[in-house]
Amino acid sequence: MQFLSLLLIRLIQTIFVIWVVVSIVFVVARIFGNPEAALLPPFDTTAADYERVRERLGIDKPLYTQYGIFLKDAVQGDLGYSFIRAGSAIDIVADKILPTIKLTAAGLVVAIGMGIPLGILAALTRGSPYDWLARLIAVFGQATPSFWLGLMLIFFLAVRVDWFPTAGSDGFRALVLPAVSLGLLSAAGFMRLTRSGMIDVMSTDFIRTARAKGLNERTVIVRHALRHAMIPVATILGLELGTLIAGSVIIEVVFSWPGLGRLMIESILKDDFPTVQAGVAVIAFSIAMGNLLVDISYRFIDPRIQAAEL
Amino acid sequence: MSERIAETVVETRWRWRLRRPRRMRRSLLLLPPLTIMLMFFVFGIFADIIAPGDPGDTNVLNKLARPAFDGGTSESLLGTDHIGRDIWTRIVHGARVSLIVVAIVVPGAALFGSTIGVIAGWRSGKLGQLLMRYVDVQLALPAVIFAVLLGAALGASIWNVVLILLFWTWAGYARLVRAEVLSLKEREFVIASLAAGGSGFWIMRKQLLPNVFNTIIVIMTLQVPVVIVAEASLSFLGVGAPVEQATWGRMITEARNYLTQAWWVMWMPGLALMLVALSGNLVGDWLRDLLDPRLRNLG
Repeated sequence: MQFLSLLLIRLIQTIFVIWVVVSIVFVVARIFGNPEAALLPPFDTTAADYERVRERLGIDKPLYTQYGIFLKDAVQGDLGYSFIRAGSAIDIVADKILPTIKLTAAGLVVAIGMGIPLGILAALTRGSPYDWLARLIAVFGQATPSFWLGLMLIFFLAVRVDWFPTAGSDGFRALVLPAVSLGLLSAAGFMRLTRSGMIDVMSTDFIRTARAKGLNERTVIVRHALRHAMIPVATILGLELGTLIAGSVIIEVVFSWPGLGRLMIESILKDDFPTVQAGVAVIAFSIAMGNLLVDISYRFIDPRIQAAEL
Repeated sequence: MSERIAETVVETRWRWRLRRPRRMRRSLLLLPPLTIMLMFFVFGIFADIIAPGDPGDTNVLNKLARPAFDGGTSESLLGTDHIGRDIWTRIVHGARVSLIVVAIVVPGAALFGSTIGVIAGWRSGKLGQLLMRYVDVQLALPAVIFAVLLGAALGASIWNVVLILLFWTWAGYARLVRAEVLSLKEREFVIASLAAGGSGFWIMRKQLLPNVFNTIIVIMTLQVPVVIVAEASLSFLGVGAPVEQATWGRMITEARNYLTQAWWVMWMPGLALMLVALSGNLVGDWLRDLLDPRLRNLG
């Protein structure tokens, strides 16, 4: 019961955050943008033409009136129609969510699938060439800008040898390069954290006890040590999810991935306010939900954490 | 009692001896990244002397010229790009842009973020809560998208990039500094000054700030490569510095179409960016271990 009420509080907080974020975007976009200029030809246009377009788009009224209308519609689930595309902003954004989820999930798989095993290996063979190699990968992963990494991967693996497509999102092979470019930065973080966590936990008394009572090394590592070392990893997971979602914007541009990030960049550059607002709301919501899920899973990994700390 | 002291002394000495060679080796390993960071600063400051040419000078007769070490002439050290601009000159002048951005954004964000953090930690009641809720909102903003929105809104200029990155990075300082202050203010020396009648401002300035200084320095160092890469990413997305300005990010974007014909056009600025980011990371890690090992899990 206590858990449920805390969940409710978090949900209300999330809605509040989304409201503030979208409002900031609403105001900034409307102060600086002028979508009518993009919609009309630069010659033979009179002031009356501009005025007509502004009226059609509903941006001729004062800012606070626009904001009032926006809020009233938003509460009813209507975020307006796109200025430049056919259809409502929500539909346009919804169309692009799945590819972005696919990309982000694949990036997360790369990050976890590479980071955690490498971290365990490095910790267990501390000081060995494996350890050095893993740490080298982590240092490079942390320092390489993702767009540069993506372009290099295209250069070597898609142009020089034709293993992967250079762009697009058809099939599994198209997913590999974007996922690696996106996930490497987070993989480095997971690897470092797993390594230091494992090194700390391997010298604790309860690991010695586990070994003393005759458990085989595999059980000691997987059931006892790893579980403990995963606590800080789970904490950082929420942050990394945000990093991945933010990073996917640039990766989508590099690989012409038909996702939310690229839609956002295009819509911003063309002053398509409703689409930008809807997209930002979706992204803020998914970041908040990711954090909430991580916090909940945290309780299962470490039962000492009380609901009050959620 | 004296026995225990003797034991401690022996133990310390033993540790000292054991640690010494490792430290030496690590500082040797640090030589290349420190050199690269130094070069980055020197290139940025003395760009006009090191590469006296105009980074925007085009020469259509000499486009996509090979670098000197790969069969080209010594006239263009690192080759030329698709409209014949000298890549070496552009990289050196690009370093200047990155340096200007870093030199303003990192101290600026540190100053602003730490001030907010100290205030929010010290006045942890309503004011602190309000400030931190705002920080939470800002950290929930999708940073890249918001940066592009601001970049498109404000127009292309270095100063707008500075503004965007300031806005992007200050909240991180605020959050960490606040956490430090929250634990510091329960310590005896702070409570003692409060009891002795010290004003809030005096305690913040003379006791809290010096104690979080190491943390701030460490984050600042770690932020240097982050800011450089962020600036390049903005240029790459087309909302950074204006077109006529040579920046590493823009060089990489423009080189995309010539990837198959001329490898150097993209490799050179990319390598510069990667080397500086890598070195900045290594130097930052080292400084963190030196000043504040507790921050190790920061990532």
